[in-house]
Amino acid sequence: MIRTYSRTAAMAVLLGLGAITAAPAFAQDAVISAAKAAGTVGEQADGYLGVKGSVGADVRSAVDALNIKRRAAYTDLAAKRGVTVQDMAAVTGCQTLASRVSAGQIYRIGAGEWQTKGGGPIALPDYCATAAK
Amino acid sequence: LASGCIQVRAPDKPIEINLNVKIQQEVVVRLQQDAKDLIQNNPELFPE
Repeated sequence: MIRTYSRTAAMAVLLGLGAITAAPAFAQDAVISAAKAAGTVGEQADGYLGVKGSVGADVRSAVDALNIKRRAAYTDLAAKRGVTVQDMAAVTGCQTLASRVSAGQIYRIGAGEWQTKGGGPIALPDYCATAAK
Repeated sequence: LASGCIQVRAPDKPIEINLNVKIQQEVVVRLQQDAKDLIQNNPELFPE
């Protein structure tokens, strides 16, 4: 919780400086962290970030930019391992759902509804079964 | 002649095309460490 507050504070400072328009990577991450805390952006089982409902243009563009970077990373690894980009992304999605979603944050599996993580671990898709925490 | 007919039935469930993942278990096992390393080595791609 303390972490969330400090990130929100950091984001407020950035907003105050007007740094968002410049959108360096750290500012994008701050936007996304704040949106995750606010429950408008969450991790998806497909390995990408998704948006719930309507969000501001700054959030939208930060999510898009990050997803493009993720796809580039997945593409690179997939080529090295001889698998599809989608598979590489989905296996990473298992990991992000298992270890990168905090209680109170939202997440989505498949084409399902957005859910809010409670106190326990997320019930992962079957194919994630071996994904360690 | 009737025996040569093939019955085509509509699937029971609607076909889901969006966001759904079909992946082999062995692929998950093989890629798991890569996925972990990717997240660990690129924290800026996976902000919490």
